[in-house]
Amino acid sequence: MRLCLSYGLLSLVLAGHGAHRCLGQEPHRFDQVVAPILANHCLECHRGADAKGGLDLSQRDEALRGGESGPAWRPGKPLESLLWERVASGEMPPRKPLPEKTKEVLRKWIQDGAPWGTNPIDPFRFTNESRAGLDWWSLQPLRDPRVPAVKTRDRVRNPVDAFILAKLEAEQLGFSEDASPRQLIRRLYLDLIGLPPTPEAVAKFVEDPSDVAYAAVVDRLLDSSHYGERWGRHWLDVARFGESDGFERNGPRNHLWHYRDWVIDAFNADMPYDEFARLQIAGDVLRNNAPSGLAAVGFWVAGVHNTVVGGSEFMKRVAREDELEEMVGALGQTFVGLTFNCSRCHDHKFDPIRQREYYRLTAAISGVRHGEKEAVETRFRDQISALEKELDALNGVVNRLEKKARQTVLAVRKKEGQKRTVPPRPYARWEFESDLKDSLGALHGTAHGSARVENGALVLGEESYVETATLPTDVKEKTLESWVLLANLKQRGGSALTLQTRSGLVFDAIVFGEREAGQWMAGSDGFVRTKSFAAPVETTGTKEPVHFAIVYQADGTITGYRNGVPYGKPYKSSGLQRYKAGDSTVLFGLRHKPPVGPNRYLSGKILRAQLHLKALSPAAIAASAGVESDYVAEEELVAALAPAERGQRRELVKRRAALVKRKTELQSNSKVKFYTVAPGNPGTTYFLPRGDVMKRGEVMTPGAVRAVQGVTADFGLAADSTDAARRVRLASWIAGDKNPLFPRVMVNRLWHYHFGTGIVETPNDFGFNGGRPSHPELLDWLAITLRQGGYRLKSVHRVIVTSSAYRQASKFRQTAHERDAGNRLLWRKSPRRIEAEVLRDSILAVAGKLNLQAGGPGFVDVSITPNNGTTYYEPLDKEDDQLHRRTVYRFWPRGGRSALLDTFDCPDPSSTAPRRTVTTTPLQALSLLNNSFVLRMAGHLGERVGREAGANAGEQVRRAYELTLGRRPDAEEELLAIKLVERHGAAALGRALFNSNEFVVSQ
Amino acid sequence: MYQGKRRDFFHWGAQGIAATALLSLLEGDGVVQGATTTHPVRAKRAIHICLIGGMSHVDSFDYKPELVKYHGKPLGASEKPDIFFGQVGLLRQHDWEFKQRGNSGLWISEMWPHIAEQADDLTLLRSMVSDSANHTPALFVQNSGFQFNGFPSLGSWLSYGMGTETEALPAYVVLPDSRGGPNGGASNWTNGFLPAQHQGVVLSGGDQPVRDLFPARAIDRVEEAETREFLRLVNRKHLAQAGQDAALAARVRSYELAAQMQMSVPEVSDLAGETAATREMYGVDDTQTADAGRRCLLGRRLLERGVRFVQIYSGGPIAGNPRASWDAHESVKQNHSFEAGRIDKPVAALLRDLKQRGMLAETLVLFTTEFGRTPFAQSAANQVGPGRDHNRYGFSCWMAGAGLKPGTSYGATDDIGWKAVENPMPWHDFHATILHLFGIDHEKLTFYHNGIRRRLTNVHGEVADEIFA
Repeated sequence: MRLCLSYGLLSLVLAGHGAHRCLGQEPHRFDQVVAPILANHCLECHRGADAKGGLDLSQRDEALRGGESGPAWRPGKPLESLLWERVASGEMPPRKPLPEKTKEVLRKWIQDGAPWGTNPIDPFRFTNESRAGLDWWSLQPLRDPRVPAVKTRDRVRNPVDAFILAKLEAEQLGFSEDASPRQLIRRLYLDLIGLPPTPEAVAKFVEDPSDVAYAAVVDRLLDSSHYGERWGRHWLDVARFGESDGFERNGPRNHLWHYRDWVIDAFNADMPYDEFARLQIAGDVLRNNAPSGLAAVGFWVAGVHNTVVGGSEFMKRVAREDELEEMVGALGQTFVGLTFNCSRCHDHKFDPIRQREYYRLTAAISGVRHGEKEAVETRFRDQISALEKELDALNGVVNRLEKKARQTVLAVRKKEGQKRTVPPRPYARWEFESDLKDSLGALHGTAHGSARVENGALVLGEESYVETATLPTDVKEKTLESWVLLANLKQRGGSALTLQTRSGLVFDAIVFGEREAGQWMAGSDGFVRTKSFAAPVETTGTKEPVHFAIVYQADGTITGYRNGVPYGKPYKSSGLQRYKAGDSTVLFGLRHKPPVGPNRYLSGKILRAQLHLKALSPAAIAASAGVESDYVAEEELVAALAPAERGQRRELVKRRAALVKRKTELQSNSKVKFYTVAPGNPGTTYFLPRGDVMKRGEVMTPGAVRAVQGVTADFGLAADSTDAARRVRLASWIAGDKNPLFPRVMVNRLWHYHFGTGIVETPNDFGFNGGRPSHPELLDWLAITLRQGGYRLKSVHRVIVTSSAYRQASKFRQTAHERDAGNRLLWRKSPRRIEAEVLRDSILAVAGKLNLQAGGPGFVDVSITPNNGTTYYEPLDKEDDQLHRRTVYRFWPRGGRSALLDTFDCPDPSSTAPRRTVTTTPLQALSLLNNSFVLRMAGHLGERVGREAGANAGEQVRRAYELTLGRRPDAEEELLAIKLVERHGAAALGRALFNSNEFVVSQ
Repeated sequence: MYQGKRRDFFHWGAQGIAATALLSLLEGDGVVQGATTTHPVRAKRAIHICLIGGMSHVDSFDYKPELVKYHGKPLGASEKPDIFFGQVGLLRQHDWEFKQRGNSGLWISEMWPHIAEQADDLTLLRSMVSDSANHTPALFVQNSGFQFNGFPSLGSWLSYGMGTETEALPAYVVLPDSRGGPNGGASNWTNGFLPAQHQGVVLSGGDQPVRDLFPARAIDRVEEAETREFLRLVNRKHLAQAGQDAALAARVRSYELAAQMQMSVPEVSDLAGETAATREMYGVDDTQTADAGRRCLLGRRLLERGVRFVQIYSGGPIAGNPRASWDAHESVKQNHSFEAGRIDKPVAALLRDLKQRGMLAETLVLFTTEFGRTPFAQSAANQVGPGRDHNRYGFSCWMAGAGLKPGTSYGATDDIGWKAVENPMPWHDFHATILHLFGIDHEKLTFYHNGIRRRLTNVHGEVADEIFA
């Protein structure tokens, strides 16, 4: 077994491994030895009703009945058996003949009378040498282990030590001595909060390094808000947290930081781990869309997201299935250490996970989609609802007052057929009566392609368009109006009026059907000012002309009007786009220049169009549209009121305006945007044979994996159940109190981060391809401790870091090294190069520059350049207090490089990183020596020691050592350091110390 | 698991990966070769000319006389071609004259007068196909075998599989076009989930050819030397106290290597020592060819000094006006004349130079484009416009050098160059073939990542052994 050999310590890793079980009875032998061969090499084709050649080898009777060529074997007579004949000649399995040894197993089995076992063959029943079965160790219920008795009892501080020592002693090894108080407290600080201890904290502990004092330090650190920043970062690695979409566009995500803050807060609050998991899976449902719930389910959408899907049905389905695989993969690896994602196209090759179960899992999350949501912060909710009540009451009064007056106006209007408002005069108007001229000014148009005026309309089609002369004036607020008759409703992306910069790089336009088929939208460059109006689909636009208008207000609000009435909902865009005099033109037909690509052209007729350089009121739009409307202008209304009513109404309206203003303020202050799950209709989930998105098998109901013992894989939900029900059930399955993987995987993660290597070395994979537990009993003991302690993580931290195993010295020991080079038995605490974030934060802290501002949008140390569909992120180098916040608060785009973090193995969050690689390279050395951030911080450290220690070089050296390494220099170091400071200043010493092994490696 | 002396030390733990990296630092890496491979090692290093934007094969390396006949006629296919902009104009003949070249008689157009002179060294691949006709995913799949970011690139896999022959230089060096980085930027040369020492390192011009090679602000030479000496002494002392721990020792060693790199990078970047004839041959001093000439010459110098994989980009960001890439939607003649003019002479010089120095026999030269261009114009349906759209169904790349049959072509597109019809070669096959030339079985070069033993070739890849000498 390849995994085991490299350890040199076979005994410990083979524990619980099925392959070495003694083979006893015949059925057992069939299930464990013969069935796996048939399952792995034959059943893919020879199974079930449509088996190849009519031969079904999965059931005894069927095999004996045989296929088209006859029975598969004659018991006891291999030479007369077709199976043996085909296998022996290498004809079967096709193209991949079996090894001789395997062939011999089959021959011998037929020879022995072909005894059968489980019928039909269940290839997942037993673990064998090439895959895990239902008896796989990690799927079994937790076993409460007996704490072993050990010889060196004086080193046992808690049961953790007993489990570790038992194995060590079996190899004639033991713990190293306790680490020195200085080393220990530095280790503990870096480990629990990711920052080095202050000289004062070190001094205090060195003075009293008792177990009681140590426990008090542990408690204080676990209570510190820096604990969440440190351990939250670990979780974000696993959750593949990235603040850009990845894929081709890789656009930034500005509202996913809530998830990061939620994770940090949850760690700090010691939220029970089961609740922590449940909320990440279904927090929006469980917390009724409260901000905390929306933040928590950021887990689902923390990964990559393909925003360029392509037009064909095939590409759409592939993209969605890829997305589901990404999410199912994250779910399984994060919470239960299983690679569900490997069974999308076939049953899992190594673990007992069926392909059908994969689709049951995707059914469970098929309502999950990437998106944004807004929520009102809880503390504002009550205030707003009180205001709303008051407004309702007030509106009732005003409406009663106005009703009569309105009726009077409308009655008069009807009688007189009177035109109510004079339509506003635009800046430019194109009548298209006989030419392309602007009838009010000089914005005359020029035709391109087949564009022409016919019968009082501009006729567009076949990639034709009209462009006008350049606007001689600035444009700020504006209204675009166009009377259009569409040639068809299927067309996508043409424009009825575009205002654009001459190059076409920036534009605002009335666009039909681009993002959503059949809908009008306010088109803009790269959709920056575009959102859906969420209006009904156009149905009559080919039969009668549509008047469509878009109003752009100074505050960025964009409102659409169809035939004089509001079209869907207005929205606030990223801001009003201004156009400079002499740099803009108007287009008809073409969405924007350059004129390439088929989906930029309108097909139909434009009867008339107008451009206003102001934001028209609803009344003006209605007037311009010339439609019948019950709209009564303010002046008309006032005129129809009695004088006393006028005064009364004026007061009420004033009061109402104040309330609305207050409410708007509250809402805009209290509304928070979240990048989160925007649940959609789960739709129908089909089994996809071989993962082929174009082939649909049977309908799948939501469910999970049967192989995990203690929890029910069937969710008892119908195929058309709601997204909410699905995810709530999924959350209960994952975090179910009897799910053995759930606590096992988490305690292993904690162990992994505390020791550098997990009890299982692959924290995201507890399956056959992952590592085997070095200390299986300890793993279960910790898992039970977590479960029994109400899933509080801090209690597990506490038991680990107070153990003797954790508190050992890190000193190298040749003899122990010879027996266990990888230190899997923990004969010492392995030294660890600190992670990139800890390094950066430590440098900031020591230099006295760490900005402790917690939470909120991340600091941005990259420039963000969108360029033709791709976003470039380039490192920015500047001295800025915001950039001195802890690294966990860095805006974290995918592919957004940072020189220092990169070389120190910070993972790109394109996929989950349950373990970080630890490399030592010359580029890393160069980065730490020469990077401008490091040099600046060395300078700050130099200034700091000057400030705190005075002008004396010796004092400066001592202070610099205390700050960076938590100790005083010895005589030799002091001599060398003083010389360095005297000749080149304290900054040079700071730079050297930042690069020293003692600073960079936690011992 | 990849079998080999170095790999024996690899195991699951973070410690284990560290151990691998340490060993590569402490022992050097020449040991890996031969010990690890099942095939004869033909190639020891490679240099990759990577064209951004899509070069038209029917105008360059894929001669289609039939296209002359069909010029101005519609494609006449039953299906509507699924292409990027969806504009299917009439068929358009090549814009450059084709000639048979050298003894091999390979047809190469006048777009490449200099490379054509080296025809007898080339192995043309005329049946390339790609999964994507969008620039960024197409470039990713060419570099890493996957359309998404986060997967290690070919250069990283070679660094991981073969190690490095020099510790004074990175194993994988990237030389971007002076006009800017390609779409997707550094994701194109990422190590993905492989350890960080396998990432592509950008070598640019100027005072800091490698990021952080020298202090970000001027530091006095004496101060620099004395600071480094102080660091060396305290680290050595610390190491003595901590016992001979490999992780700590490796850090000490990494600073020695860093110092070497500070010497070797400026040395390799300094072209002053090259003869006037060499500079002339690469076109280093000619405005049109200076950018590529300098990089091709630098590429040769890097290879000479033991760098495993050099990647030279031709083309920067896709967007922009005028275009700084091969994305000839508007006019192939205009765009490709300009782009080819920048690299033709330098790339030909590189081939010639490697050959005359006896390096070509062990060096693989790769010349690739993310996809080709359509045989029909990108214009209205009744026109023969001057531009061509993206074509992923058939296009041309070439290789030269180590272990290849020179002066040959492999595969073919149909009569008009629209789709590959003979020996279609997807990128996975291309990668498998390259690894084979390096003596590596593409199915065995794996790295465990989140439950899967990842390969450059995913679950695909056929070695095109017909092109081997």
